[in-house]
Amino acid sequence: MKPLTTPNEYAVEARNLTKTYTSKIRSPGSKTGIFRGGETRTVAALDHLDVKIKRGELFGLLGPNGAGKTTLVKILCTLLPPDGGTAVVNGFDVARQQMRVKESIGTLFSVGERGFFWRLSGYSNLEFFAAINNVPRSGRQQRIMEVLELVGLKDKAFEVFQKYSGGMKRKLALARALLGDPPILLLDEPTTGLDVTSSRAIRDFIKNDLSRKRGKTVLYTTHYIEEVSQMCDRVGIMNHGKIVALDTPEALKGMAKKGEVADIVVKNMSETQVNSLRTVGGVSSLATEVQNATLGQTRLRIRLENVDALPTVLDFFFREKIKLVNFRQEEPTLEDAFIELTGAGVSE
Amino acid sequence: MKLMQELDKVYYFMKRDIISFSTYKTNILLSVVSALFGALSYAFWGANASMPSVQNLGMPVVTYLLIGLAFNTYLSQSLTLVQRTINPWSLEEVLVSPTGLVTFIVGSSLWGFIWSTLVIVIYLAVGVLAFGVILSVNIIGTIIVVGLGIGTFIGFSMIGAGVLILTKQGDPVTTIITLATNLFGNVLFPISVMPFPLQIVSFFVPQYYFFTCIRPMLVGQAIGSILPDLAILGVMCAIILPVGYLAYAWCLKTARKNGTLSWF
Repeated sequence: MKPLTTPNEYAVEARNLTKTYTSKIRSPGSKTGIFRGGETRTVAALDHLDVKIKRGELFGLLGPNGAGKTTLVKILCTLLPPDGGTAVVNGFDVARQQMRVKESIGTLFSVGERGFFWRLSGYSNLEFFAAINNVPRSGRQQRIMEVLELVGLKDKAFEVFQKYSGGMKRKLALARALLGDPPILLLDEPTTGLDVTSSRAIRDFIKNDLSRKRGKTVLYTTHYIEEVSQMCDRVGIMNHGKIVALDTPEALKGMAKKGEVADIVVKNMSETQVNSLRTVGGVSSLATEVQNATLGQTRLRIRLENVDALPTVLDFFFREKIKLVNFRQEEPTLEDAFIELTGAGVSE
Repeated sequence: MKLMQELDKVYYFMKRDIISFSTYKTNILLSVVSALFGALSYAFWGANASMPSVQNLGMPVVTYLLIGLAFNTYLSQSLTLVQRTINPWSLEEVLVSPTGLVTFIVGSSLWGFIWSTLVIVIYLAVGVLAFGVILSVNIIGTIIVVGLGIGTFIGFSMIGAGVLILTKQGDPVTTIITLATNLFGNVLFPISVMPFPLQIVSFFVPQYYFFTCIRPMLVGQAIGSILPDLAILGVMCAIILPVGYLAYAWCLKTARKNGTLSWF
């Protein structure tokens, strides 16, 4: 079957993509019994989304939880049909050429290790997935050992999967995505839940080996700002089912360059006081995060319109008798662009 | 080439299941022991029962019971085979691979069938070795009847699995079929011992035709003796199997559309 579109510079193209979920809400206050079904709520997971990813590009998709990142990945890998719009992967339409799309991609989901068979060895797991992914029988063993070596698991190939550490499980999931040597990799939060060392190892491998050395197109979703900032060629910031900004990490940082950022840790600040601070002149945005619940410490990341607004803000703390535990004045980062565009908290 | 590729996939589904299964040693032992004990209990009962109302069984009571018990276990296994393949996480991983639904169902079910067949052998071996049950198997007839029975039950199983994919817990189809089999299926007693209205219900239950056909085939009767019942079983299989497949495919498609595939 021929591709629906002429192969071009884009590995992934989504146009006007929409997806809506309907769910039942059963809140304690609602007058709905067990058999009454609850209230129906509709959520637009993707809202007329457009995105193009170039061939060979390492593309980061950044967004808070619920932004629609996983929905997009599931549509691109054919697991989820879109309600409207089109998506083309490697020149094949995800709705009409599913098998060709599946042959073009490798996928890793954030809970990918749960898709393995825990009583089998890493090798036996990959042998099964190689077979169902059409890796030719003749070169299968060699390919499995190649990908295991690539992700650094060759020595552990014949150990039972359930004895693997979290990092090893995620590496095996990455190895599985590489089995068919696909040109496009869809990696949905591949480092979520991993320790710092394992996370870095996986990120380095994706950037240096898969992207730079082997020229794979990678769609990398995450809610960790530092990840996309360090490794991606371009970053799309996603919120409420839309891409609200799309550019290189440097350019996105540039979007937030205007103004100043004050990163302050305070003690015992009430919700009312936080809301009052938002209205102080010169404060353009404010994100909060609990720093230490036991000590009553909250981290505030305050975007200021200019440096002249800083004395007014500090004056607010003195007036309200709020104790400052830590204070830093910084240039805006990608994190600030993210907060400004999504309205998310610091930790989201 | 394409067929070989699909058969290769089926083989690896089976290999995966055998390796997994072989690691649960206690479970294997318990399955064998339950089969032995189940066969022994019914065989003892059958060997010593005087059942004036079931004189026209066409075979000794012990043979009647053993065949009913053995193949009831077989059909029960078949009924849940497709359901047991629904692991929400690996289901997504399989669906994202270029593997068709038929290969997935056949591949995931094959080892379950083979194991169930081995369990039947245990049942029948107990009957033959310990109670002198004489079996004279009409091989072709048995294969046809078992094939149609499995086809029908796989159809039910796919409907049940489809319902489970949507409801996530609780599948009324399996429960109803199991109850219907035990009561109306001619499994452990002939339907002639039931009141007439209930006997009528049996005529709409495929299990009745399966057990009516399988027993004569295992005691060496000719296939011609069961032809009318076999034809009805064949028609039921021809309807239930594709309906089951379509129902399963529809439920899977609906769960994918709703994004609830992995919500278990």
